[in-house]
Amino acid sequence: MSPPPSTPPRPPSTPPPGPASAPPSSSPPTSALAAKGLSTRLLQGGLLLLFFGLLYGVSRAAPHPGPHGGTAAALGFLLLAGTLASELLEPLRLPHLTGYMAAGVLAGPHVLHLIDHGAVDDVSSVNALALSLIALAGGAELKVDVIRRSLRGLSWAMALHSTLGFAALTGVFYACRSLMPFVRPMAAPAAFGVALLWGALAVSRSPSATLAILSQTRASGPLARHTLAFVMTSDVVVLAQLALTTAAARPLLEPGSTFSTAELGSLGYEMLGSVAIGTALGLVLALYLRLIGQQLLLVLIALGFGATEVLRYLHFDAMLTFVVAGFVVQNLSQQGDALLRAVGRTAGLVFVVFFATAGAHLDLPLLRKLWPVALILVSSRVVVTWALARASAALAREEPLIRHWGWSGLVSQAGLTLGMSLIIERSFPAFGAPFRALAIAAVAFNEVLGPILFKYALDRAGETGHAQARPGH
Amino acid sequence: MNAIWLLMGLLLLAYMGSFLVGGQSIRGFGLPSGAEYLVLGLLLGPHMLGLLQRSTVADFQPFAEAGAGWVALVVGLDYGFVGQRRVKLRNLALGSLLSLAAGALIALAVYAALAALSTMDRGELLLCAGGVGAACAETTRHAVRWVMQRHDASGPLSTLLAELADSDDAVPILATALLFALRPSAHLPWQASALGWAALTLGLGALLGLAAALLLGRDFRLDESWGVLLGASVLAIGLSTRLGLSTMTTLFAFGVAIATVSPHRDEVWAMVEPTERTVLQPLLLLAGARIDADAVPAGFWVIGAALAARVLAKGATGLALRASAPARAAPPALGLGLLSTGAVCLSIGLIFALRFPGRVGDTVLVVAAATTIFGEFVGPPLLRSALRRAGEIAARSTSSIITPFPFRLTLPPAARRPTAPSPPGPPPAPPPEDAP
Repeated sequence: MSPPPSTPPRPPSTPPPGPASAPPSSSPPTSALAAKGLSTRLLQGGLLLLFFGLLYGVSRAAPHPGPHGGTAAALGFLLLAGTLASELLEPLRLPHLTGYMAAGVLAGPHVLHLIDHGAVDDVSSVNALALSLIALAGGAELKVDVIRRSLRGLSWAMALHSTLGFAALTGVFYACRSLMPFVRPMAAPAAFGVALLWGALAVSRSPSATLAILSQTRASGPLARHTLAFVMTSDVVVLAQLALTTAAARPLLEPGSTFSTAELGSLGYEMLGSVAIGTALGLVLALYLRLIGQQLLLVLIALGFGATEVLRYLHFDAMLTFVVAGFVVQNLSQQGDALLRAVGRTAGLVFVVFFATAGAHLDLPLLRKLWPVALILVSSRVVVTWALARASAALAREEPLIRHWGWSGLVSQAGLTLGMSLIIERSFPAFGAPFRALAIAAVAFNEVLGPILFKYALDRAGETGHAQARPGH
Repeated sequence: MNAIWLLMGLLLLAYMGSFLVGGQSIRGFGLPSGAEYLVLGLLLGPHMLGLLQRSTVADFQPFAEAGAGWVALVVGLDYGFVGQRRVKLRNLALGSLLSLAAGALIALAVYAALAALSTMDRGELLLCAGGVGAACAETTRHAVRWVMQRHDASGPLSTLLAELADSDDAVPILATALLFALRPSAHLPWQASALGWAALTLGLGALLGLAAALLLGRDFRLDESWGVLLGASVLAIGLSTRLGLSTMTTLFAFGVAIATVSPHRDEVWAMVEPTERTVLQPLLLLAGARIDADAVPAGFWVIGAALAARVLAKGATGLALRASAPARAAPPALGLGLLSTGAVCLSIGLIFALRFPGRVGDTVLVVAAATTIFGEFVGPPLLRSALRRAGEIAARSTSSIITPFPFRLTLPPAARRPTAPSPPGPPPAPPPEDAP
């Protein structure tokens, strides 16, 4: 790989071109933290061990906590241990969310079993709030003028990833079908149908991981802006693609059934409804911010839990609704920064809980079973993503920075992909469970690898606080 | 009503509660004990309108535990302080002694009533009477501050009462640790006595408080501090719940440890204080919804005995205080002005109901609720009257007790009083949007 193009230092008076504005952040920039000395690290390590020890001791003294009995301890532990683990991994330049996940994996039901499945599920209910905040922030980061400026690049990237990427990853899955016990006995058309579904799944990205990295690093610059805009807008495309693929794959998988537009119809209803409700919600939120502007934390919690529940009941997509709401607040009112500030105050806590829970959820026994095939699928996805990102950047005549590093933010996968795999499992119960297991195994790799790559690329591109603090930047 | 609607209702209450502590809002709105939310919960609960089912309320048990713990954390952080001023050591000891005496008298009365009229065994009697004694021992600091802020009271008697009300929370909170230790629910690798369990309760809180203080470090960063404080306190709540310990005692010790060790006690207090009312109101609603008066054996007599003992204890407290210089001009009924209970009392009642479901827990919660409602009618008017007689309330102050609507009213700058005699109390709270 050739050395990365360097970014010239910005004059101090010029505001960084950044992703729409500074992403919601609750963490100090990397450079500030780098100053933490050995004694601080030792103290943090000691306290992390203390918390592990306490939870271990208590879980042995009271092994059966009863319903909800372990929830508070799990939540508190994940918050503290995730934060401390991320701090301890910082000298290795690893992203914070790797630390959050490491703490979750270690304490979770598959390793030390300090947190059981029930507690993990209980804590996961916080994810509704986390996802809504992430989506609101993501939408609010998308400024119309920024999208307009990078429209050409975005269009090329979207077109290539959704077509060639989809086709290539479908092909890889189909080629590997003999390695997968649940596909091996299938006839060729059915196996191709499953491969199509995999292709749709593989082109999805992770808005939460992208925002978490941007939040931690406070990265600002063309790479951060391009990645954020692509990942947030690709959400919509990916959902449409999944519906289309499901409709196309059904006749291949279920002999006798025909291509039906019913799924497309319901997708259209879901998307248009989500956009309409998101617009209304955004306007109401902007009005609230303008007229009252207080107790935003409580308002956001109410939105996160209440609105998500209502949207689920109405069969609308909560993620899309909140993205649109954030987008409306940012672009149709002057309250975008206020919203970003409000979400930013909670971002640190939300990301810790979200990713530490994801770590605790990580099914290591399953990963042990499926890792060879998952690894093949993951590596081919990385290669395809890299190639297509380079090609689309070249076609759109993007600056060298995007051409070189544009792929790095597109590797992460997390909640969105898992949600899509759940939809596929429900739509095709015959092979849904092993298909989802494979998806979980692949996401596990991407969830760990993706953020590390993206942060590394941002550092190398000179867009993070750490990079800007380095001599020569 | 399903859980999500209940959650929305609780958030609405929290929203309203947070306006009560807004930086420039007029203070002294609502009832000092928050009893209106208790009554609302009772009305909505399974024994009245039935809009809240018992199972729905049970789903919120972790929140109730956490809320009670959070109240104790706020009390712990503020223990020994009135605002940023330290309470005199003499008053700290006096407040603790008076609450010990009041609690003991009430526990004795309830023990006698239950022994005579119920079929409880000795262990249950001890738990029940002790729980009621612990819950009803305090005078809520909110009521004293509420009267002082609402009526612009200031002077030596106001200061004394504020300090006593602040100091009398430790004894009942510590007593709950001992009472919970009578029925341990976890198994330690070693044999532990009740005192050992109580020490473990305090030790756990102190250890995690110390850890939090260390993590808060020398430089105070608001965002990081919220993560540390929430993480450590929720862990403390979770561990103590899992061990069957008193979450309130653990978190009280946690708060005291931070206040003692951390150089950022004032900043932490400024962060946390505005959240107390936000947490308290949903907590009171849940407490109200859990009330089951039918489950209390010989309910009328037990409640009557507890109230009579409390009136006696606080009356005697007032008479004893009149011997001191600041209270010399106060009327003989001064002690009855200290009858208000609130956050600590109801939180103790609630954690008893959660830890000892059945007649023990129900009795403690019902008596705590009855004491709070009774105190609400008697305490603030008599306290106001006592302070007026002592010359610490200006004659022009004629505000009514109940204010109809608790939303924020911001006075124009010209209409605001200059900073002149500020009542001893917490400094104006910062806007709570700083919360995470």
